[in-house]
Amino acid sequence: MAALNHYLILSGVLFTMGVAGVLLRRNVITMLLSIEVMLNAVNLSFIAFGHFLGSADGQIIVFFVVTVAAAEAAVGLALVIALFRHLETLNPDAFRQLRG
Amino acid sequence: MSVSPTLIAQLAILGFVFFMLLNSAAIMVYVERKVAAKIQQRMGPTLVGPYGMLQPLADIIKLMMKEDLRPKAADAILFTLAPIIAATTAFTAFAVVPFGAATTFWGLLPEPISLQIADINVAVLFVFAITSMGVYGIVLAGWSSNSKYSLLGALRSSAQMISYELSYGLALASVLLLAGSLSLRDIVNAQSGAWLGVIPRWFIFLQPVSFFIFMTAGIAETNRAPFDFPEAEQELVAGYHTEYSSMSFAMFFMAEYINMVTVSAVATDLFLGGWHGPFLPESFGWIWFLLKVSAILFFYVWMRWTLPRYRYDQLMQFGWKALLPLSVVNLLVTAAGVLYFGA
Amino acid sequence: MAHNLVFFYGFAALAVVSTLLVIAQPNPIYSVLLLILSFVALAGLYVMLDAPFVAVTQIIVYAGAIMVLFLFVVMLLNVSHEHAVADNQAASDGGGPTVRWFGAILAGVMAVELVWALNRSRSVGAALAGAERETAWSVEEIGRILFTRYGFAFEATSVLILVAMVGSIALAGRHLSGKKAWRR
Repeated sequence: MAALNHYLILSGVLFTMGVAGVLLRRNVITMLLSIEVMLNAVNLSFIAFGHFLGSADGQIIVFFVVTVAAAEAAVGLALVIALFRHLETLNPDAFRQLRG
Repeated sequence: MSVSPTLIAQLAILGFVFFMLLNSAAIMVYVERKVAAKIQQRMGPTLVGPYGMLQPLADIIKLMMKEDLRPKAADAILFTLAPIIAATTAFTAFAVVPFGAATTFWGLLPEPISLQIADINVAVLFVFAITSMGVYGIVLAGWSSNSKYSLLGALRSSAQMISYELSYGLALASVLLLAGSLSLRDIVNAQSGAWLGVIPRWFIFLQPVSFFIFMTAGIAETNRAPFDFPEAEQELVAGYHTEYSSMSFAMFFMAEYINMVTVSAVATDLFLGGWHGPFLPESFGWIWFLLKVSAILFFYVWMRWTLPRYRYDQLMQFGWKALLPLSVVNLLVTAAGVLYFGA
Repeated sequence: MAHNLVFFYGFAALAVVSTLLVIAQPNPIYSVLLLILSFVALAGLYVMLDAPFVAVTQIIVYAGAIMVLFLFVVMLLNVSHEHAVADNQAASDGGGPTVRWFGAILAGVMAVELVWALNRSRSVGAALAGAERETAWSVEEIGRILFTRYGFAFEATSVLILVAMVGSIALAGRHLSGKKAWRR
């Protein structure tokens, strides 16, 4: 039987990969994907805690996280499309003129 | 681990469903050609076998003999993967569809087992989830072919499937409200019996609007005429599978027909009372199920050869501005009804 | 329950490997597909954690909707050949490659620490032993809690979705008002 520790370790490892992805990759789409990875790692620990505490709250928070992720992806990708139209690149380093 | 008769029976059901789904594609090809011929006052296939009934077999042998071509500029991995995804999702969705009452196979088994592969408590959502995965097969086929026609077909198809999935889901939701369960088996069992002794207690009589929305969205989901934009021959050559040949083409072809069968089977379970029907004992309910599915499939074929294809903007207009509001209103009315009259 | 562990390690390995490839390989279209694989693996873990409804929702919303959106954008922008990373060395004064690598290594160190700490403390699981439910939460129970105790948060998310919808249409569709086709 997999214990809570197992799930928490997996969640931590996945979250780290997400962080590394955001920091290392220079492609906005992959960075957005890495953010999804982080959100999912958090979801996993919510579900694991909810299961081992015998509570449904973990699952419900996951629904909210999924909703927020959907909103984030929609707005994020809209921004990517708008930026790509202007600059013809997906490299975030090229977006420096966005600073006010 | 000991091998119990129940396990053997379950494996037998699994094999049977797989075999029948494969067969259904072949049968549908034959029916499609024969019905089309009748509608257009032709003969259809007559040469191979009696009444041309072996024509599908000849088709399959022909497809297997052909060379499997791949465009040079295609993305090799995704090009190979796309038909596999399409076929796998088509088969998987049927796993939770029940097609008959629980049975002991005339006393062969110690306890009755249900005629379906897996009875899970979120079956309806499972079908929905797997259907939504089916879009990847088409999108990847279109993108990896590196061809304009394929890409346009794939983009059209995915936009269409996403748009109609919303109405599809809302139509499901109003049935779920009536049945109070997400398990297809429970939903079917909620439809047993009859009102006043004559009218079967099927949800189609309570939810005609929902049934209409479900079938319309189902036709759009399976990319059938009059919504067959992804492969509109006159505009896009053959849409997303333009570059496919031989068995990989056959996989797309098969996936399309199996998806039709799955949508019809789900519609039968949700709206037409599944295996419940008059005149036949419960243990022969699967005959009713088969008849109902065949009726819906015939309707599909009939539609294809009767209605012309819509324009693409008409399809989107209809989906977002007519079907979606209609299904939302239908859901609200159903919810109010359930609240007022009780489930 | 030995086979339970087998399933856990199977799904966990699938999730870790596919996620690693998401961030490691250059082509965004493969990244999207591998992320879907990782979501499917996580859905398997959710089923093991008695949350089948969340598992299915995960597939419908993430794999069926959000990832299709990503795939659409990748296909439309057609950046699969990664010319975007060519100007990688245009290091902004905000953070050059060195700074970024430092951050990534710190993240890795954090993960190693976490694994070490969780491996040492047996108490995390032990303190909670017996709190688990025998059966999975039914959709009805979840629905009841969602619409009563979390009713306000639920309404708030609907506003969030509306705002996101308006925002993304305003951002991406601004140039489309005059002409219908994509112009690049």
